[in-house]
Amino acid sequence: MKLSKNFTNPLAANNPVIVQILGICSALAVTVKLEPALVMGLSVTFVCAFSNLIMSLLRKGLPSRIRIIVQLVVIATLVIVVDQFLRAYMYEVSKQLSVYVGLIITNCIVMGRVEAFALGNKPWDSFVDGVANGLGYAFILVLVAFFRELLGSGTLFGIDILNRFGYVGNSLMLFPPMALIIIGCIIWVHRSLNKDLQEK
Amino acid sequence: MAINKNSNVYIIIYTIVMVVIVGALLAFLATSLKPMQDENKLKEKKNAIMKAFKAEGDFDKLVTIYRLNGTELSEVEADAQAAIFEELEKRGDLAKAEKDLPLFKYAEGDVVKYVIPLVGKGLWGDIWGYASVQPKDGNVVITGIVMDHAGETPGLGAEIATDRVQGLFVDKALYNEAEEFAVRMQKGGARNDHEVDAITGGTKTCDGVNAMLKDCISKYEAFLMAEAGAVAADTTASEVEPAEAAEPDATDAVEASEGEPAEEIVEPTNVEEK
Repeated sequence: MKLSKNFTNPLAANNPVIVQILGICSALAVTVKLEPALVMGLSVTFVCAFSNLIMSLLRKGLPSRIRIIVQLVVIATLVIVVDQFLRAYMYEVSKQLSVYVGLIITNCIVMGRVEAFALGNKPWDSFVDGVANGLGYAFILVLVAFFRELLGSGTLFGIDILNRFGYVGNSLMLFPPMALIIIGCIIWVHRSLNKDLQEK
Repeated sequence: MAINKNSNVYIIIYTIVMVVIVGALLAFLATSLKPMQDENKLKEKKNAIMKAFKAEGDFDKLVTIYRLNGTELSEVEADAQAAIFEELEKRGDLAKAEKDLPLFKYAEGDVVKYVIPLVGKGLWGDIWGYASVQPKDGNVVITGIVMDHAGETPGLGAEIATDRVQGLFVDKALYNEAEEFAVRMQKGGARNDHEVDAITGGTKTCDGVNAMLKDCISKYEAFLMAEAGAVAADTTASEVEPAEAAEPDATDAVEASEGEPAEEIVEPTNVEEK
C-alpha cells in the first residue's frame, strides 16, 4: 500500500515539475522535440532512481558533515555514466541534448529526493521513489514536447503529422518561453482537477 | 566501540575511499566506451562530407583526402587520415591554418568535386560545415553545403542547419564578373545570382556564415581557380576566352587545350542560368 502510494504520488498529486515546480530549466530547454525530451526524462529517471538507491544504502555510514558532497559525487558519477553511454550509443540524441545531460547534476529533483527521502528510507522504497519522481518529470517533459513539436514543427518523433495537411510550423512554439506557457497551462488544468492543491 | 562518524579521520578515509572507487569506475567506463564514441564522431564527419557531395556510398572508397599547399596537392594515406579528422575537430586551429589545408575530392566520371571544411563564428558560438564545390567554366560552383552550429537560436540562426537554407546555396557560382567572392546570405533578399536570402531574425548568424564561407574558401582560391581554368581550357575552344581568373595557370591551360579537339564550344564564363 505504502509502496504503491510512493510510486503514484509523484506521478500526479505531488508531481515534481507541476506541483513542486522543480527542474523547470531543463524542461524549457529540451522539449523542442519529443525524442530528446523522452531520452532526457529517462536519463533523469535513471539518475534519480540510482542516486536514491545508493544514498539510501550509504545512509547509515554517511558522515553528516559531508553528506551534500557525497550526494553530489554520487549524482555526478551517475550523470557522467549516462552521458558517456549516450555518446557511445545514441550519438544524435546526445548532440541534441548537449549540455543538458551534464546539467542533470544540478536538477533540483534529483538532489531534493536524495535529501528528503533516500536518507531516511530503506533502499527499495528509495529506489521506487526515485523512479516515480523521474517518471513524473519525464511525463511532463514528453507532454510539453508533444505540443511543441506538433505545433512548432508539425511532426511527432520526426514523422510528419500536421505537415501532411499543409500546416506550417509555428516557430514561436520552438522558443523556450512557449515551454513555460505550456507548463503553466498544464499546472492550471492540474490544479482545477485537484481542488486540494488550490491556494485559498 | 562505536565509530564517531563525524571525526576527521573517518571523514578523510570515507572521502578517499569514495573518490578512488568513483575515479576507477569512471576511468574504466571512459576508456571502454571511447572507441565507440570516436567512431561516432568520425562517422558523423564522413556522413556530413558525403551529404555535401550529395553522394551515397562508402566514404573510404569514393573520397580521396588531400593536403593543399598553395596549388600543390598531396594525397593523404589511409593511415594518416585520422589526423585530418582530428584537425577538423580543432576549429580554432583550422580557422588559422594557412598550409597543409585539408581537402576532400570526389570524382564521378568527368565530374570532380571538392569539399572544403568550413569553420566560423555564429552569434552564440562556433558554426562549421562542409562546402562541396566544383570548378566549372572558369568559375567555381557550389554543389552542396552542410552546416551545423553549437548553439544558434532555434528557429532563427539555427536554420542554417536545415536542408532548406543549405539548398539555397546549390548551383551558386562563387565569383562574380569582377572576380570577387560574391556568394553571401543577403539581408532583405538575394540581389543577384550569387546571393541567397538571409534568414529573417538570424542576421548575425548569416553574417557569420558569410565570413566563414569567404575566409575558408579564399584559402583554396588559387587552387580552385587553377582547376577551374584548366577545366575551362579543357573543354573550351581557343577563341572563347577561358576563365578570366586563370592567370597563374593560363599557360598551362593553353598547353592543355592544344591537345584537345575544339569541337565542343562551351558558352563563355558565368554560365549561371536559373
